[in-house]
Amino acid sequence: MVMLSPNTPAADQAAADQDAHPDSAPAGGEALAGLPDFTTDRYKDAYSRINAIVLEGEQEAHDNYIALGTLISDQAEELARLARMELKHKKGFTACANNLGVTADMAFAREFFAPLHNNFQQALAEGKVTTCLLIQAILIEAFAISAYHIYIPVADPFARKITEGVVKDEYTHLNYGQEWLKANLETVREELMQANRDNLPLVRRMLEQVAADAAVLHMEQEDLMADFLSCYQETLMEIGLSSREIARMAASALTA
Amino acid sequence: MFGLIGHSTSFEEARQKARTLGYDAFADGDLDMWCAAPPQLVERITINSPTGKSIEGAYIDSVFVPEMLRRFKTAKRKVLKAMELAQRCGIDITALGGFTSIIFEDMNLLREQRVSAVELDWQRFTTGNTHTAWVICQQVETNAPRLGIDLGKARVAVVGATGDIGSAVCRWMQRRGVGELLLVARRPQPLAELRDSLGEGRVLALDEALAEADVVVWVASLPQSLEIDSARLPRPCLMIDGGYPKNLDSKAAAPGVHVLKGGIVEFWQDIGWQMMEVAEMAVPQRQMFACFAEAILLDFEQLHTNFSWGRNNITLEAMDRIGAASLRHGFKALELAPADQPAPALASA
Repeated sequence: MVMLSPNTPAADQAAADQDAHPDSAPAGGEALAGLPDFTTDRYKDAYSRINAIVLEGEQEAHDNYIALGTLISDQAEELARLARMELKHKKGFTACANNLGVTADMAFAREFFAPLHNNFQQALAEGKVTTCLLIQAILIEAFAISAYHIYIPVADPFARKITEGVVKDEYTHLNYGQEWLKANLETVREELMQANRDNLPLVRRMLEQVAADAAVLHMEQEDLMADFLSCYQETLMEIGLSSREIARMAASALTA
Repeated sequence: MFGLIGHSTSFEEARQKARTLGYDAFADGDLDMWCAAPPQLVERITINSPTGKSIEGAYIDSVFVPEMLRRFKTAKRKVLKAMELAQRCGIDITALGGFTSIIFEDMNLLREQRVSAVELDWQRFTTGNTHTAWVICQQVETNAPRLGIDLGKARVAVVGATGDIGSAVCRWMQRRGVGELLLVARRPQPLAELRDSLGEGRVLALDEALAEADVVVWVASLPQSLEIDSARLPRPCLMIDGGYPKNLDSKAAAPGVHVLKGGIVEFWQDIGWQMMEVAEMAVPQRQMFACFAEAILLDFEQLHTNFSWGRNNITLEAMDRIGAASLRHGFKALELAPADQPAPALASA
């Protein structure tokens, strides 16, 4: 009376998956359980680029906050304080590389950051505070926060401790940009949208560029993208943008 | 504030819906794009109880589609991220709809309390299963007599009897008193335990149970490939399709076999929302899944706690309580359409 035939889609998968006890039998290719071997050449090679990106990112952040202080002069002191934190982070991550005996590939990292760097410099020259804040205090910080969160569970014990300390600081930076944009939303909305269109696709391309290296560190591209986007979306929500505006903005990362 | 976490029933349908809601970039995106997309707070809603109380809520689409079920990590992340968003939005009680609670349960996400920087507070979430179980029981009690089925003598099969909702339905039917309970589930051991705890009921294979049952309560997900030979079903037969997705009507439809979408409630007045159209409700302005309604009820009652949580914890007292709240706040279990009911003369014949 009841016949099972291989006739597929959704519900079949559901039934199959419910029986399969996913965590005891992970699907091929998706399972990256456990820690990587931090001592292999392959790991160190990938780490030399990922670590360099982190160092360059922290340096960029330092320079960008100092630069922002020239545009928002009444907050130059606060921005200088944030900038100092970024240099402290850079020191911490340098120690992580030393600990593993890895030399960061800084030339790669500078090239990696060049498009975003150039956009920031151009906005700075034009006195566009909103664009500068979106690039540094929102995009880069959200990117860092989500990447650090995904890195922490798969990091070596030394780096793990340092990254956990850093990630707490980065929230305060994200918060800085968020509060400024929130307070000025009505006058900056249009520029914010444009800056999003110009820069979010760059973040996606950057992610794609490091996907293979990140995978060696047991960080998956889809997780990185998804976490970055939810962090970014939450910030936009706090700034006061509507759900639809946010979805539209986030989508330009996904469809670019 | 209450929250509802839902999702579309297929990728194709999700894209169409994204188009009509004005999310063009999502409508154009491929499945990989949807996998990486974060949850969306799609709609904010105000709901009024006949008691005069008014509450606010939000609908969160997890941007999950059933096509992602095979990607365990993606499915898991979709559920956790949607819950994280609900919590971040300050929602007091959120129902996990559709596959959300199934994934939560089957992938044992209780172990994954920490999502990035957020520690999920389980008190803020409910599976909504207590209300779903109560509604399904109401649907049996209300509609069986209309088909001329005397529940006191009827054989009532529960397919998925050992599940959270299924076992609750069994206990309710036992208290109410039915002719005989027929227990169907995939795994023999929990079935034997259920049979022991009830002290009654007959354990049967699915096709054996279907050949005998006057009422069939489906609370298991049906494989798309499941085929039911309606010729062998007793007549009349009431089938409550309480599984997810609801696809029983296409499989069992036949004269004398009455399929009712289970675990669906209708609100007493229109709700100005768009999202239930996504769930293919017949009357989307009023109808919704009972699990969603549970979050609404808990908010109306200011019961901000995970009322339905874990497996096989649903008590008859909890069902009575949520049932009373359901009636008080203007919900009614979905009934058979008049065309689906036999003429009175026939029914009494």
